[in-house]
Amino acid sequence: MRIQVSRTGGFAGIARHGEVETSGRPDAAEWEALAEAALADGRGGPPAGVPDGFHYRITVGDRTVECADPRLTEAQRTLVSRVLKEGA
Amino acid sequence: MQPRPNNGLQPVFCTIVPPHVLDKLSQADDPLLAGPARRTLDADSARRHHRRVTALAWTPQAARTSDPVPAKPHRTLYDCRHGTDLPGVKVRDEGEEATQDASVNRAYAGLGATFDLLVMEYGRSSIDGKGLPLIGSVHYDEKYNNAFFDGEQMVFGDGDGEIFLDFTLAIDVIAHELAHGLTQYTANLAYQGQSGALNESVSDVFGSLVKQYSLGQSADQGDWLIGAGLLAPRVSGVALRSMKAPGTAYDDDVLGKDPQPASMDDYVETDQDNGGVHINSGIPNRAFYLLATALGGNAWERAGRIWFDVLTGGELAQEASFKDFAKLTVAAAQHRFGEGSEAEAVLKAWSEVGVPTR
Repeated sequence: MRIQVSRTGGFAGIARHGEVETSGRPDAAEWEALAEAALADGRGGPPAGVPDGFHYRITVGDRTVECADPRLTEAQRTLVSRVLKEGA
Repeated sequence: MQPRPNNGLQPVFCTIVPPHVLDKLSQADDPLLAGPARRTLDADSARRHHRRVTALAWTPQAARTSDPVPAKPHRTLYDCRHGTDLPGVKVRDEGEEATQDASVNRAYAGLGATFDLLVMEYGRSSIDGKGLPLIGSVHYDEKYNNAFFDGEQMVFGDGDGEIFLDFTLAIDVIAHELAHGLTQYTANLAYQGQSGALNESVSDVFGSLVKQYSLGQSADQGDWLIGAGLLAPRVSGVALRSMKAPGTAYDDDVLGKDPQPASMDDYVETDQDNGGVHINSGIPNRAFYLLATALGGNAWERAGRIWFDVLTGGELAQEASFKDFAKLTVAAAQHRFGEGSEAEAVLKAWSEVGVPTR
């Protein structure tokens, strides 16, 4: 399973991108559960966002959801910060 | 009045002495030291209060309501303790002493400085003109490289120390976030495309104005940088943005290069960042810088006044384009200052960045 996270916006307006390929990883199951939860949470469609807030696009395989500061769920926050290796 | 030993000459305390020094002196055992210090503090405080009240006396808000419009801020600071629940735990209320947490104290001071500029120079009580309480939360999340305004309050991250430091370190960042609130309560510029870039630029403008105001800097003394002091030591750059020279603030292997355009020739069409609101803000930013430095003196007095008039004048549409905004600044300059150097300088500034004004 390929997980991609794109982050745009933010005070600095600096885009970041990260990817994780879960197959072959010892913690693959954990990653996949996290990714599924993040996708499920994002079913409502693209969020409005707030001024200077980050916008995230999470792509798992061929499915994509979007979320934005400050209304990320636990799963989304955890997934994003692990993939980008930055606070989310 | 007690007779003074030194021939009736009183020690003179210039107002350059900061209040905390006067505070200490006012508590001295020697009445020769304590008396004048106490009187200076009282006089200073009364002068400041009088100025605040006078500044509000002729505002539309004051005329309409029978209740006095607050001349002082009501700030409340919260600590998210590295979680993401907002607002977090209350740690400092208006009038309370500084805490041990420098982030809290910096945010408190920054909110106060922004309130002061708005009330003293533009006669506006807080972001809604009616003394709306100012709420800020610090230590949001872990290593969070950002600050934002969520529609009701300001939120500040600590930075990760690698790319960014604590976001309360820069007073212009604090003022920038609060200015999003000002915009929300006035023109409410849509946070997308050109209107969004204007929204961003207005926040950078007020960020710089508050910074210069707090430092007592005139337009030519200001650095016109946004977020200077936020970049971690290893980052190759001077700030996050430059109003003076958009596109030159940083060039780093991790951050990349400052993508801001300095004129419409280099306007960036993108789907990212709500249509590049943090990118294309460079164009109106530069226009403001050019205006402020062409006029000289304190940027908030004329250039800032024109921008404030447009933002609050009721004619700026939510979906305004750069051209719409520029046209209004010309009209505002003429209305406020007549057909003189101010209106001419406004026209010249927009011309230099390639935004039409007719």
